[in-house]
Amino acid sequence: MKLRLINLTNSMPMLAAAGLLLSALSAYGQDADDNAAVERAPDYFLDTPQTNKYAVIMTGPTVGDENVSQFRQWAFSLHDILIRDYGYTSDGITLLYDDGSTDMPGGERIDGACDITGIEQGLSALAQQVETGDQVTLYLIGHGSGAEEEAKFNIVGPDVTGPEFARLLDPFAQQDVVIVNTTSASYGFSTALSSEGRVVISSTRSPSERYDPVFSRYFIEALDGRNGDRDKNNRVSMLEAFEYAKLSVNQFYEDQGRLASEHAGLDDNGDAMFALDPAVDGADGRLAEIAYIDTMENDTAGLDEQGLSLKARMQELEREIFILRGRKADYLEADYWQRLEALLVDLARTTGRFNDYVTQ
Amino acid sequence: MLRNKIERALRCAACLTVLTSSSLLWAQDADVTGVGNESPLYRGEQLLQTGSYAAAAEILQMTDGLDRADGLVGASRALVMMGNYQQAMVVLENEIDGENLADHPLLATQLAEVKRLVGESAEAIEILAEVIDGLAEPPVRTLVQYGSLLDFTGRNGEARLVLDQAVQRYNNGMVFASEDVGMVALASWLLGNFHDANSLFDEATRANPNNLEARTLWADLFMEKFNAADAERTYQEALDINSRYVPALVGVARVISDERAIQRALAINPNSVPAMETYGQMLMRAGQEDAAMEYFTQALALNPEAIKTLSFLAAQAALEERMADYDGYYQQVEAFSPGNPEFLGDVADAFGNNYRFTEAVEYARASIAADPEYWQGYTLLGSNLIRLGEEEEGKANLEIGFENDPFNVMTSNMLTVFDELETYETLESEHFKVHMSERDARILWPYLEPLLEESWTTLTAKYDFEPEGPVLIEVFERSEDFAVRSVGLPDIGPLVGICFGKVITLISPDTLNANWQEIVWHEFMHVITLQMTDNRMPRWLSEGISVWEEKEGRPYWGRDQGLDLVRAEREGKLIPVADLNSGFSGARTNADLSFAYFQSYLVVDYITQQYGFEKLVELVHQYAFIKEDSARFREVFDASLDEFDQGFRGWIDNRVAEIDVFVHTEDMPDEGTGHGHGVRENSSAILAELYNNASLKQHMRSRIEENARDFQAHLQLGIVLFKEENYQEAKMSLETAYDLLPSYTGYPSPPLVMAQIFQAEGNEEQRLEWLSVLLENQQHDEDSALILAEAALQGGNMERADYYIDRALQVDPYRTDVHRLKARYADAIGDSGLAVTEYEVLMNLDITDPVEARTDLAQAYLNNGQHSEARQNILFALEIAPSYRRAQEVLLESIDEAGN
Repeated sequence: MKLRLINLTNSMPMLAAAGLLLSALSAYGQDADDNAAVERAPDYFLDTPQTNKYAVIMTGPTVGDENVSQFRQWAFSLHDILIRDYGYTSDGITLLYDDGSTDMPGGERIDGACDITGIEQGLSALAQQVETGDQVTLYLIGHGSGAEEEAKFNIVGPDVTGPEFARLLDPFAQQDVVIVNTTSASYGFSTALSSEGRVVISSTRSPSERYDPVFSRYFIEALDGRNGDRDKNNRVSMLEAFEYAKLSVNQFYEDQGRLASEHAGLDDNGDAMFALDPAVDGADGRLAEIAYIDTMENDTAGLDEQGLSLKARMQELEREIFILRGRKADYLEADYWQRLEALLVDLARTTGRFNDYVTQ
Repeated sequence: MLRNKIERALRCAACLTVLTSSSLLWAQDADVTGVGNESPLYRGEQLLQTGSYAAAAEILQMTDGLDRADGLVGASRALVMMGNYQQAMVVLENEIDGENLADHPLLATQLAEVKRLVGESAEAIEILAEVIDGLAEPPVRTLVQYGSLLDFTGRNGEARLVLDQAVQRYNNGMVFASEDVGMVALASWLLGNFHDANSLFDEATRANPNNLEARTLWADLFMEKFNAADAERTYQEALDINSRYVPALVGVARVISDERAIQRALAINPNSVPAMETYGQMLMRAGQEDAAMEYFTQALALNPEAIKTLSFLAAQAALEERMADYDGYYQQVEAFSPGNPEFLGDVADAFGNNYRFTEAVEYARASIAADPEYWQGYTLLGSNLIRLGEEEEGKANLEIGFENDPFNVMTSNMLTVFDELETYETLESEHFKVHMSERDARILWPYLEPLLEESWTTLTAKYDFEPEGPVLIEVFERSEDFAVRSVGLPDIGPLVGICFGKVITLISPDTLNANWQEIVWHEFMHVITLQMTDNRMPRWLSEGISVWEEKEGRPYWGRDQGLDLVRAEREGKLIPVADLNSGFSGARTNADLSFAYFQSYLVVDYITQQYGFEKLVELVHQYAFIKEDSARFREVFDASLDEFDQGFRGWIDNRVAEIDVFVHTEDMPDEGTGHGHGVRENSSAILAELYNNASLKQHMRSRIEENARDFQAHLQLGIVLFKEENYQEAKMSLETAYDLLPSYTGYPSPPLVMAQIFQAEGNEEQRLEWLSVLLENQQHDEDSALILAEAALQGGNMERADYYIDRALQVDPYRTDVHRLKARYADAIGDSGLAVTEYEVLMNLDITDPVEARTDLAQAYLNNGQHSEARQNILFALEIAPSYRRAQEVLLESIDEAGN
């Protein structure tokens, strides 16, 4: 378990940190406690421009041309999207695919087999590479099986159980870890991975949901072209991607006229109780909101005093908006919107001035 | 209120319940004199239990001593099971031999039950009254049979007292035997205590699982409450014990219209009045009136008090406005069962089933007046009021029915739908009032409203008739709700829209895979024809006109079932015009039903082409009057029905000759949904699974060698060649197929595969050309419509873009890409109002990117001069995404515009 204090100088100007701050403020409910609240918040997912992000994509074996084709398409698409849209390098992505054979179109992406040896070697190599505060995201694609205690991720050779897989993650105690488990019967396996400071997404939220889910398709779609970027900050957080995929899965089953056989859940407070509707002000969702897929850009580089001043004003206004939004229930509706509009107009005009200044 | 429930009970009342079971074969082969030490009573009951009625009757008459009474009752019941009612009475009367009836309570009760079966209820009452008067503790069965007879004959108050005695005896712990518990259950049922009855039937059948009488009565109770699933299961349980148990066979036939079950029942008991009534009604529904009447006549000859037959015949007379005949039946019933509410309720039901809702309401009111505790009357009244658009009063009556009979599935279903409707929105246009879900109100209404008014303007002018309005339309998201609202039960088969004259019920396009605009047009046409004739239109003509008007509404709507027509003509399956209604009522498959619609359309097409449209309207007007069809056709066409039919057949022959394609016997009809509004798929996918390409090609080529005009062979060969990427040969086959039958509406069609070939070849121009050909005859391919719309928009052809976008919306108005395209179209032609409409719809559809949708909508409002709405929406967007620059710019613009 990590217990680090948040680095205020680095994170306060950042939009993501403002989100975390907001949630803390919402919880405590008064300005006077701002600093205390921030100090109580654990320093997970600090997300600085210096943070490196790594991905491990594990795709288990399957049978049938359709499944094989679908799993391959998901794995390869995810690999390419991370590089194209989120600035990952090939070295930053470990793709463990089926038996590790590269004899297929696009097979050069594959780094090894999705068997216990391949996983151990892949994670071990990654553990040598990462630094404190880096973010490691593990995407599990394929089939899962079994009841809650013995739930397994189906890999080549003997399957791996949740507790066994959790032990493989021990070397990443100083990194922020995200697990996106999109396999069938993923719930039992995912609960074993729950830990404080860790974001775990499971495509199913009940041991009885054991049919192949479509969640993976929509989670990748959320990442593709930043479709899931709900707040239009040009970044996609795990919470946004989860929300996008969840809504799309619901729509999928509605369009099909079928009862949904999967309900995705998210846990990021370490209690292994997966929320169906995680939110920044809920039990789960706070970390997921600031767990971004990509690395933050340093957008203050090269700015002079006037530029920095305008940027600081924008960040201050954004912060005020987040605080106001977090206290929406405290205001009469008309009052809330009036205050919000004033801040938004100010922010819009300041942003305009900043943009003009940058383009000069 | 209790009276005619007894009819149901009677069918079981003559049945003995015994404990053992054994195989029918064994029973029939057995030595009827007994085996070993088994008594004749024991052996006889075994035989009766297994359905070996003749043997049972014989051996049970051999009983003596203490077994004598039980034996003779059993023998009588066995004889009843075979329909030998006279002998069933004789064995009892011989034993009683003029002695005091109270000295023979079991025999006398059975005698009364048999007399009732043959319509001698007055004598039956006398017998039972004598038994009860002569005994301090008459048997439970005697009490219940007496109470039910009193009720049947209109002596409700007395009936209640007697039936209460039976229930009270149970409450005092004095009823133990399964048969008696079953009788107490019947008493509870007759007293209107349906939950008690249910529990007691359960208890009776638990005490003795082989109690066929209780089990079948229980099923009857389910049946009365429209709980078909439990009824069928329970009847089947009885038949699992005794497959020759006539009351259960009749019950199964009633639930699932199983002709074999009813024929089997009549083979076992050729004098079973309930079997005859059931079979008669089944035949009537299938349009076989003469055969049905034979059964009804026979039933009345056997039992002049067969009230179901009398009410059915009375309803037929009233529907045909033969009121003297109706009065005759009514008086006949009054003579033995005065003020019978179920008689009136059955008539009300018949009127409702024939779309005569106004009369149905009148008879339902009369049934309630006859007995205010006839709860089914409230359900009938409520459901028919709803179909007249009188929702408030309808609901109030349903609630009365439910409050007093919560067991009635139909009542509770309809009230549940009312609960659902409370969440719906009500929207109004000039001539229509529409209930629809909030989602449909946001997404569908912008397109439904103009279509409704267009249909009103077009069709009222054309038929020179303005229906009573506003027409109420209810659009249900769940097909179960649609079915319940329409017929009270959750299964309605393939139907997707129903018109009741002033009310139309529809399945939401969100749940449907069909052209919803065609369906709306079709149903509104029914409003006109039904109201023109006070709902007296025969179904075939009403459907025929509605389908015919589809094609008049849009050239690509309607039905082109050329292959089906050729096949039907060759197989002699065309139905004479005089019997066309049976094509609907007797349809056994979706294909049959679909063809009934199509042939009805062809008759209308024939009339308009051969005689002119005005003659069609004249014919419709003829149905406002009561007369024979032959007189109507003579009046309008100056021809007999036969002559008209001959003319139609000649016209069909010409049409088939014009189509001039060969239909191979191995080809199945292109599968289409029964309502005919959905996609009709050919068997290409199945063939591809069954055969490899080489054998399929070889087979289709040999078929073409046999007959060069084999359309399906050319099409299937073209599909296989396309899959093999042999595009040149594929094109030849597909072009041949297209030339043979350009109007083919199945899927995939030659133009579709041609378009796919040109796409594969990279020839976009030809691809688009074939897609446009495809859409001339295929109204359900919204993907192709979207491709053509996009191309038209890019090419600056706004008229075609509008046309194809509309084609896509007709099939699926819930696709975001359709609305995005239409919004782009609106922007391109500078129609800011239309753009607002589209972005408002998108706002409700685009669930994954609400910020973008809000921003688009705000921009559209701004462009349309709606600054306040623009500001409100952009604030919603920026609340989620405060740093989104495009939204910020819209905010600033909206403020600037508002300031100006």
